[in-house]
Amino acid sequence: MGHDETKSGRITPHNPIADDGDEYQFCSTCAFGAVCVGRGLDKIGLAELHCLVEHVGPYRAGESIFRTGDRFGAIYAVRSGTVKTRQVDLEGRELILGFYLPGELVGLNAIHPEIYPCDAIALDKVEVCRFSFPALATLAMRIPQVQKELFRRLSKDIGDASVRNQEASADERLAAFVLDLSARYEARGFSPQALHLSMSRGDIANYLGLASETVSRVLRRFQDGGLLTVDGRELTISNAAALKDIAKNLLHH
Amino acid sequence: MHTPYRRGMNAHLIPTTPLFDRELIAQYDVNAPRYTSYPTAPHFRTDFVEADLRRAIRMSNDDPIPRDLSAYLHIPFCMSPCYYCGCARIITRDRSKAAAYLARLYREIEQVATCFDRDRRLAQLHFGGGTPNFLDAQQLLELVESLGQHFSFSRNAKREFGIELDPRFCDEAYARQICDAGINRVSIGVQDFDPAVQEAVNRIQSVDETAAVMAGARAGGVRSINLDLIYGLPRQTPDSFARTLDQVIALRPDRIAAYGYAHLPERFKAQRQIDKYDLPDATTRLTLLQQTVEMLTAAGYVHIGVDHFALPDDDLALAAVAGTLQRNFQGYSTHAACDLIGFGMSAISHIGPSFSQNAKDLVGYYAALDNGHLPVARGLWLGDDDLLRADLIQRLMCAGTLDIDAFEARYPVEFEHYFRGSLDRLEPLAADGLVTRTANRITVTARGQFLLRNIAQCFDAYFESPGIRYSRAV
Repeated sequence: MGHDETKSGRITPHNPIADDGDEYQFCSTCAFGAVCVGRGLDKIGLAELHCLVEHVGPYRAGESIFRTGDRFGAIYAVRSGTVKTRQVDLEGRELILGFYLPGELVGLNAIHPEIYPCDAIALDKVEVCRFSFPALATLAMRIPQVQKELFRRLSKDIGDASVRNQEASADERLAAFVLDLSARYEARGFSPQALHLSMSRGDIANYLGLASETVSRVLRRFQDGGLLTVDGRELTISNAAALKDIAKNLLHH
Repeated sequence: MHTPYRRGMNAHLIPTTPLFDRELIAQYDVNAPRYTSYPTAPHFRTDFVEADLRRAIRMSNDDPIPRDLSAYLHIPFCMSPCYYCGCARIITRDRSKAAAYLARLYREIEQVATCFDRDRRLAQLHFGGGTPNFLDAQQLLELVESLGQHFSFSRNAKREFGIELDPRFCDEAYARQICDAGINRVSIGVQDFDPAVQEAVNRIQSVDETAAVMAGARAGGVRSINLDLIYGLPRQTPDSFARTLDQVIALRPDRIAAYGYAHLPERFKAQRQIDKYDLPDATTRLTLLQQTVEMLTAAGYVHIGVDHFALPDDDLALAAVAGTLQRNFQGYSTHAACDLIGFGMSAISHIGPSFSQNAKDLVGYYAALDNGHLPVARGLWLGDDDLLRADLIQRLMCAGTLDIDAFEARYPVEFEHYFRGSLDRLEPLAADGLVTRTANRITVTARGQFLLRNIAQCFDAYFESPGIRYSRAV
């Protein structure tokens, strides 16, 4: 019996879905929305940027957007759903590199080698915008705001791994992970309290360098302590201050 | 007497003293599901297969905090046929059949257990049937031990390990002995103590036999004992049933379940042995129910909902007050939402948004396991609409009230619009005083407490399915 995990069985009221943009207005979650909104990018520039965008998807859970070794030709902006990037070693062990929410860019780490150094896998129903990279690079030379945004994104992508600090305790890593997701949702205009976790606990554990049981045990303890509640895949932060206090050593990075 | 159970969600209870409105109840004596699951079992589909069950288990392991587990084990054998029975069971006196069955049950436990992550705690265990005490005490102890090797038993004192016992085929020593396996809840079938009724249903069981098994269980440390009764059986009269109720009350079980007999001889072969002219008429059935409610209430029992009663200090009554009551395949339970694994012939699993039922006959059940497969025969993936309605029905049947604002916050629906058809169906029930409706709340009234099935049915999207017959609501 065919079953689409994203369609039935998981009601996800808080799962953000980008609206469609048009010639003059970007999708609300667009990666480059910030480039024009309030920064006076002229209409010609905006229209040009649109020309290099192609809406792709939907991908179903488990499908890949690109795979390790594919020739690099584009970066992807998530429009809806969540994407994970991962590498698989020769023994078949998976290493999760990151999770990408609506509005975030996947594939930046492929610019230099010109092949994708990882797989990008949809965790639920995912739609993306595909930015042809040669065209985007050309445009970046002409429009400084685009170049600036691209550099900003690149440096952020490099600096994102602090929650995986192996020196930190499980509590610190998980608190930082939850707060990081919350801040990223908030940055895109979604609720910073109600988070939908599309990734499995195994993925979270892998990403943070913890055991699955530890992820659940710590979250249960956070829940018992009134810091957050977890219902299926929905996580609600009830005491952000306490979480920040736990994660303070990681958040200063 | 039981069928397996389902998980559910908790909510807040507004305690009301149920009001037995005879005329009203008579008027609503129509066929309605008992809603121990939603959608109900007749809607399971054969295109749900083993791979679906495996995927449901995988998905359930993936949650940030996976749910605790609850295991139901079905022992299908009975020594003697009770004529009222509608359960999946096999009549035999050949105790050696247990060994062949257990071999498959062990295989199923082993195969299923490997699918679940090891850190998932087993918080609830229940043996149902058939007759679980068809197994001797040694077999039962070994079975629990094996479960303990394959699953991590919760060490929480609140864990529930329950079993259904037939006092005609076990004794005080047996009931005490099985407590060594951690059994802390026992449910005993009585149905009726009147000799004429017992003869008509082919179940001769004395008060002394029943009391002995209760004493054994209590000596073994069992925390809660339930007695099952059935009203509406052949030759029952208000006088005869009043005597049964007196005898039951004197035994002082912690819980009492009083089920209405559903005479569906076209569906259940055993029931063809019952002379339909011996059955009490609708008016008498109603009187039987009414006196059950009145006598049990007078004796200090609290009406939990539908057919269940409990002493005020029993976990079930405490859970009702605390708002943590759950509805499951066995009626009501005190446990928070668990993923339910059903083991054995015909057993039902409820894992995440799925139902899955094992083969309903021994041949099919054995064949699947002998060929290295899980014995899935049918099941269902719940869609968004199913989940929404399951939650709503759960809240109405357990808490007796639904907070519409909270419901809208939980699900992306506009209540009034989404449930327009259901609310139309509810309208006459509201007019009759079974429920009250305000802008943000639906509440079951004291009158409505006995007609929860009818109220829930208003929200059943499968309501008008042709060809499915349910038992009467009263």
